Amino acid sequence: MKPFMPTRQRQAAQAAVAHSSRRGDGRSAALLLTPFVTLFLLFFLAPALQTFYLSLTESSLTRTNAFVGLANYALLVRDPSFWASLGNTFYFSLLTVMPLTALGLLMALLVHRFTRVQGWLQGAFFLPYVLPISVMTLIADWMLQPSTGVINQIVGGQTAWLADVDWAMPVVALGTIWWTVGFNMLMLLAGLRNIPRELYEAAALDGARGFTLFRCITWPQLRPVVGTALLLQLIVSLKIFGQTYILTVGGPFNTTRVTLHYMYETAFTHSDAGYAAAIAMAFVAVVVALSLLHALLRRVVAGRNP
Amino acid sequence: MASVALRGIKKQYDGNAVLDSIDLDIADGELVVFVGPSGCGKSTLLRIIAGLEDISEGVLEIGGRPSNTIAPSARGIAMVFQSYALYPHMSVFENMGFALKLAKVSKDEIRERVARAARILQIEHLLDRKPAALSGGQRQRVAIGRAIVRKPEVFLFDEPLSNLDAALRGQTRVELARLHRELGATMIYVTHDQVEAMTLGQKIVVLNAGRIEQVGTPSDLYERPANRFVAGFLGSPRMNFFAAKLVGEQGRGAVIELAAGVRVQVAADVKRAIKGDRVTLGVRPEHLQIMRPGANADQHAGIQASVALVEYLGDVILVYAHVDGASEMVAVKCDADIAPPSAGSRVELVFPATRAFLFDGRGCVFAPAWLEGASAPLAQAL
Amino acid sequence: MKQPSQLAWTVVGVVCSVLLAGLWLFPLLWALSTSLRPEHETVSAVFHWLPRVWTLDAFRTTLGAGNLTRWLFNSALVASLVTMITMAVSLGAAYAFSQLRFRGRALLFGAAMLAFLLPFEALLVPLFRTMNVLGLINSYAGLVLPQVVSPVVIYVFKQFFDAIPGDFREAAVMDGAGPLRVLWSVYLPISGNIVWAMAIVTFIGAWNNFLWPFIIVTSNEMMTIPLGLTQTYDAFGVRYAQLMAAALLGALPVGLAYALFQRRVTQGFLAASGLKG
Repeated sequence: MKPFMPTRQRQAAQAAVAHSSRRGDGRSAALLLTPFVTLFLLFFLAPALQTFYLSLTESSLTRTNAFVGLANYALLVRDPSFWASLGNTFYFSLLTVMPLTALGLLMALLVHRFTRVQGWLQGAFFLPYVLPISVMTLIADWMLQPSTGVINQIVGGQTAWLADVDWAMPVVALGTIWWTVGFNMLMLLAGLRNIPRELYEAAALDGARGFTLFRCITWPQLRPVVGTALLLQLIVSLKIFGQTYILTVGGPFNTTRVTLHYMYETAFTHSDAGYAAAIAMAFVAVVVALSLLHALLRRVVAGRNP
Repeated sequence: MASVALRGIKKQYDGNAVLDSIDLDIADGELVVFVGPSGCGKSTLLRIIAGLEDISEGVLEIGGRPSNTIAPSARGIAMVFQSYALYPHMSVFENMGFALKLAKVSKDEIRERVARAARILQIEHLLDRKPAALSGGQRQRVAIGRAIVRKPEVFLFDEPLSNLDAALRGQTRVELARLHRELGATMIYVTHDQVEAMTLGQKIVVLNAGRIEQVGTPSDLYERPANRFVAGFLGSPRMNFFAAKLVGEQGRGAVIELAAGVRVQVAADVKRAIKGDRVTLGVRPEHLQIMRPGANADQHAGIQASVALVEYLGDVILVYAHVDGASEMVAVKCDADIAPPSAGSRVELVFPATRAFLFDGRGCVFAPAWLEGASAPLAQAL
Repeated sequence: MKQPSQLAWTVVGVVCSVLLAGLWLFPLLWALSTSLRPEHETVSAVFHWLPRVWTLDAFRTTLGAGNLTRWLFNSALVASLVTMITMAVSLGAAYAFSQLRFRGRALLFGAAMLAFLLPFEALLVPLFRTMNVLGLINSYAGLVLPQVVSPVVIYVFKQFFDAIPGDFREAAVMDGAGPLRVLWSVYLPISGNIVWAMAIVTFIGAWNNFLWPFIIVTSNEMMTIPLGLTQTYDAFGVRYAQLMAAALLGALPVGLAYALFQRRVTQGFLAASGLKG
């Protein structure tokens, strides 16, 4: 039997929906988020919107001028230098993505296998990744010197690698591989470690050995991680700028001028900020599309290995 | 005054009613246990009293004051969490003194109150350790100590024994009872274990699907369950239920027909039902008696069954049997001194008419009645 | 008793490991060897793996001439500032997103994570302009501020805070703590490890950042190491021993950080890439 409760009391109780344990949340949130929001607005959102707007104008580096609608984009589509730079970028991606993943996998397998020297082995492979880009470029430049460089001492001949139209990009790619493979190795190592040991034990009991273990257990479990790594590597490789700028300045004959370099030149050398913004927007479109794909894939991987 | 009153408490999550019109009074100094199956809302109710959940409708009064909108730390309550929630980076002393520090209590008083609580719980030697260096039982005491130190009017316990192993659980139950006597505080205790509820609670609140099924002392609930749910929830092994049909009255009791045509008498007042109604018979395992077929000579009717399994527990023997015509097994609790029947043998089950319960189609119990010639029931009605 | 096929694989593995490790360490070792010889040896007609004359001249000259020490200081200052500010800003924001309830939370978090997608490179021109307007071109503030917005770090911290059992917060609330107090007394102390990991990763990232300093710095004195090292071409011409010395000195701080905190570094990078290590 429910006791009678006066209407007024009931209404008061309903009105006073208690947020007793959530008091002060709004105020604290405001306090904690203000620094981030300010910085975010100033240094991300505003510039992002500005880039978009700039791409629709005819502007110099410091002055925004007339609104020209999609004229910059029309120019972009017909610009052979832009497409060439895009081609160079994708060429670089091609040269790095697969080797980085394959090598990364090999290294991860080795580190995973030889646990006693794990620290040292991992260290040797990963160390280059923590170094600034200029260290890599300085050493690469030195090693690739035609007459005094150690590469030519080993390989023979006097090739000026970085000045050679056919070899410039591959050599830059090689240097990049040395520089960044450690990160891929790390990702794939984490993937390897997440494979439950019971699977191997069960397979061993079933009589599987050596390569069969890899083919039937390791690889299927690792495939999603490899996919993620490949995609991430692709996205990162598209953003290349430093290596080609420093080592070859986009040469020889613009064969290593990648998209970002082209954008930089347009904005800072030719002071054409509007057109550069259009390049940026096109570039962003490609990167965003791939990044979304990567985020999707990552969720799938996480779903499998909770 | 440390009473708690709940008036028409409702709680909804995304349109689903988690608690539906809860009315309850808890007196000062009582040890009340909320018990029920998973998802019945007992933890939600506790958290509402604590102030960790909002109330959708209704009024909560603590110490006579409406407390719906009062912040948790101002309600005069303290809670012991199921996981203990001891701050891992603080020592035991700091854990216990944290609330006092926030309330700007003087250092001397903090030290004194923590020392006193530590003495009551016998954890004085652990004050400098971090939670990671304590055993489960020790951690639990610290959690209780953290509550004691605040001198609350009401203590809330959220399944405090569930993380302890069986041996420790029994020991801690005794300690909690002792604590209650010593502190004389109001305690509200949530558990899913009916043994804990029966042994600790002065008053038990049985919850099911967001509603209170029955409130009463352990013996009230065990000997006079108000409905089928409470009858089946308390007691282990569970009460045996038989589907039956009401076929008549005899004296002031009822005659029902079970599957396979067996008719039995039950001392229940069925005036509000009509002949032919579907009812449920409930008999506890300890009230069923096993007879060899044909040995039954008096007026009690026997239920035919075949023994499926015999379990020897040391002080009792459990016999599980398949009843003819029914799908479920019944459990019979026998004295360990008497030799049980062997598995596969045929037996006849009988029970005193005054020891059985009858439930209507909605699960409500029929009030007990007197049978002509039967001896008076031991306990009076509600 | 190892089976022959297993043994064969092990041998292959060992050979591969030695080869690859050797190959990977070679460039740095070669740079070291170069830097420890007198300048004329680097261009001599006869090639030697190890120096014939061991000398620290290259290091001495590099540290003396040019602005290497200045650049090291700049990098240290900027990286430290970026790390400290990023940690402070991100911890607060992550806690708010994770544990506090307020209107627009999901929207704001979504917007913040959007920055994940958009590459920094696309914002160079507007950022340059903003800095110009604010008068921060070629300044420490100009160097530090844009690097502080890090959705990755916020995301990692938020995930971490989400994984902390809510019981601690509720216990603290029952003890009388307000939201800020809960952050300070409960969440922050528990976060030690992850904060360390992300701090080191942020520090390394800030130290190695090339693109932004390249845009914002216009004078030699304000350069950070990655930028400064590219100047060494002009400063030293083709004096490779000095160049290698400069490179190694520039690599030393982060290399050391990695050697000392290997586990935290790997943990941090993994967390930032979204995988558990």
